[in-house]
Amino acid sequence: MTVVSSAASHLSETVAERAVISLRGVEKHFPIKDGALQRVVGQVRAVDGVSFAIRPGETVGLVGESGCGKTTLGRCISGLAPTTGGKIYFRLGDDAAARLDEIEAIPEAERSQDQLAEIERIDAGHRIDQLSGPAWKTYRRNCQMVFQDSFSSLNPRQLVKDIVGRPLRVYKEASGSELTERVVSLLESVGLGRQHLYRYPHQFSGGQRQRISIARALALDPEFIVLDEPTSALDVSVQAQILNLLHELQQERGLTYLFISHDLGVVRLMSDRIAVMYLGEVVEQGTALELFESSRHPYTDALLAANPDISSETTEMKGLSGTVPDPANPPEGCRFHTRCPVATPACGWEVDDAVDWLQTKETLLGALIDVERRTNFDATLVFHDVDSAAAVTTAMAEGDIPAAMKGALANLARDGTKVRISLTPVEPVRLADVGGQHLTSCILHTGL
Amino acid sequence: MTSTVDGLPPASRPLVAEVKDLRVHFQAKAGLVHAVDGVSFEIRDGETLGLVGETGCGKSVTARSFIRLIPSPPGVYAGGEIDFWSSAARRKGEGPIDLLQIPQKEMLEIRGDRIAMIFQDPGKALNPALTIGSQMSEVLFQHRSQELMEAALEEDPPAILRRAARQQSSALERLLLKLPPWRGRMRRLSRRVDELVARALTETQISNPRKIMDSYPHELSGGMKQRVLIAQALACNPDLLIADEPTTALDVTIQARILELIAELQQRLETSVLYISHDLSLVREICDRVAVMYAGRIVETGTTKEIFSNPLHPYTRGLMAAVPSAAHKRGELAAIEGNVPELVDPPPACRFNSRCPFAVEICRTTDPRAIPIGDEHSVACFAYESGDRTELPTLEQWV
Repeated sequence: MTVVSSAASHLSETVAERAVISLRGVEKHFPIKDGALQRVVGQVRAVDGVSFAIRPGETVGLVGESGCGKTTLGRCISGLAPTTGGKIYFRLGDDAAARLDEIEAIPEAERSQDQLAEIERIDAGHRIDQLSGPAWKTYRRNCQMVFQDSFSSLNPRQLVKDIVGRPLRVYKEASGSELTERVVSLLESVGLGRQHLYRYPHQFSGGQRQRISIARALALDPEFIVLDEPTSALDVSVQAQILNLLHELQQERGLTYLFISHDLGVVRLMSDRIAVMYLGEVVEQGTALELFESSRHPYTDALLAANPDISSETTEMKGLSGTVPDPANPPEGCRFHTRCPVATPACGWEVDDAVDWLQTKETLLGALIDVERRTNFDATLVFHDVDSAAAVTTAMAEGDIPAAMKGALANLARDGTKVRISLTPVEPVRLADVGGQHLTSCILHTGL
Repeated sequence: MTSTVDGLPPASRPLVAEVKDLRVHFQAKAGLVHAVDGVSFEIRDGETLGLVGETGCGKSVTARSFIRLIPSPPGVYAGGEIDFWSSAARRKGEGPIDLLQIPQKEMLEIRGDRIAMIFQDPGKALNPALTIGSQMSEVLFQHRSQELMEAALEEDPPAILRRAARQQSSALERLLLKLPPWRGRMRRLSRRVDELVARALTETQISNPRKIMDSYPHELSGGMKQRVLIAQALACNPDLLIADEPTTALDVTIQARILELIAELQQRLETSVLYISHDLSLVREICDRVAVMYAGRIVETGTTKEIFSNPLHPYTRGLMAAVPSAAHKRGELAAIEGNVPELVDPPPACRFNSRCPFAVEICRTTDPRAIPIGDEHSVACFAYESGDRTELPTLEQWV
């Protein structure tokens, strides 16, 4: 936590003395319910401890594969989904952020009454789930969202005039002919016009519908917009139009963007700073240039290597083996170690990895009856027969398993049909600064 | 077959398929939609042809026409032909067959056997109610029932088993097959099928095929499902593989793996591939030749190198300039203004004229024709028709 919070404050050296949005250890867990009584049997950790700050006027890009939690995080920030842990602050001053860092560095039990009261005061003024009525309204009108799918985010039964004019009406900004004029000027600012007022969303093409979404987001003249994959449903030629429009609007109105996308090329073009997410965590963040020119995390490297580049003739695309692990049961240590090409023994190898390796061994997996788990790093595998147990032991001892996993193997002992394996336990990885506002969680670079 | 192909320059390889002036129209309330309107191109043996274009340009309709998957009505094959040389026909020295004219029965034999297709969304292309093993064995029962019977059963099996091997048993027969004397032979048959399915799955680098065969599609990840579809498509070793945006629904890291796999299998099996995509940078990586489609027509074809180093058509140039790359400054992407035109009863004209910054009078009144520029490159643009207007701005100037 300390490392992360100092990181958040580290980013506050830029112009203004407050951030638009500050995230401090934000978590969003979804309960998994099962059985007739719908008891909670587990948690899907969609977002698991994310901290960064978004400064006025900048664009922060959020990249990652599908299912990494980037959209969920966007929804948390815009107040559409309540968080289950951590704090999101709106317009938190840098001095207040520094105070929070200071107090949170002290263990919870040792904090004084004054310090607790101070946290409470800051929370009441800025933390979005504790804002009072008027402050909540200010936050809502200043934090808008543009969604990925413009089909499902525009009401098919409403006219464009009603869709774009709705925020103005809700906040009683305008009515009657004034409302119409405001809507027209909004439409004109996104490249549409008066002739589009009395049409339904289905009468527009994908690009035009996304323009309507943007006009709606702009209606209350917000400070900050969450752009959740605004162009991923569009063709390249139209995508270019929308990206140019977003840039123009940012220049004109001094907007702040959180740009969520899986397309590295688009994020690189649009963002000042980029955060890379994997399985609910930010694994690397830094300026767009830093990240693309000298990335410090193997996952970012993998994303870059897999991304085809139109401007070069001989790039060879490289993919990653395996699939994204289950976010309900994320891997220990670095969450990327199961797919990482440069994993070391200290990356968090655990019992599940051994079982996953068994999955690839058709004959041996069938003989596995039970896994008696003491911790995630220590378990006994029970096999059907002695031969299979012996075969597994030999295979593991002789390095049929990945080399890094073998390095982490502290103890391997067979007793009849039982194989006890224990691996060296590791701490969870943390984001740490590697210089120049560049943070990474990879132990190869942080040296933690 | 290999010896005749290997070492030959791409241009002189034998043809696998040739599309001539294909027209596919759809009857809509507003009129006749000319979704594909005079498309011609050829696919040569062992090559990967990329068909690139934006949404609604007719690339998927063109591909589906190969195996006649266009529902009719509302679809109408309004003209043209798709000539196809199967490897067997070529060995015998026979001419091509027109895929649009052959009877339905022959089409059923070709579909999935000689021409196979990988669809865009692996989640939708697999039957959620069947296990992977049982839906993959359908392909083999459909196209390889004879070989199956020869391998697993006696010389001249009775009719009841022949029908079983083609999955054409009646309800009563299915009951009988569970009893002796058929039961043992049915088991042998299904064991043989399972073996073949497992082998096909192993080809696509699935590590534990037996386990995958027993699982249902929802238990697999997107990348795994796409591997299953590829295994299914290649199970019969087709002459032509149609890949309709096979990686659009996947993440980039998985996409790269799937493309590697397709390329590797293609090399090994010597299959020709028609690769459909909207992603230019992807096509550049994997295709030998490229055809660029716009609003139901091919605007430019050529080798990948030619197209990307020397794009001629204004649309191709615009499309390339619109892809964000490291060279672009923010807010300075070259967008193609306007939208794709309506394709309902279009007048004769260049379809791109409404968005083309260089359009002149003739572009609005006459259909352009494909003009060959060099051996391996042709473009449908009036700017290259005569000598007087060849000086279109270069790609750099456009940007």
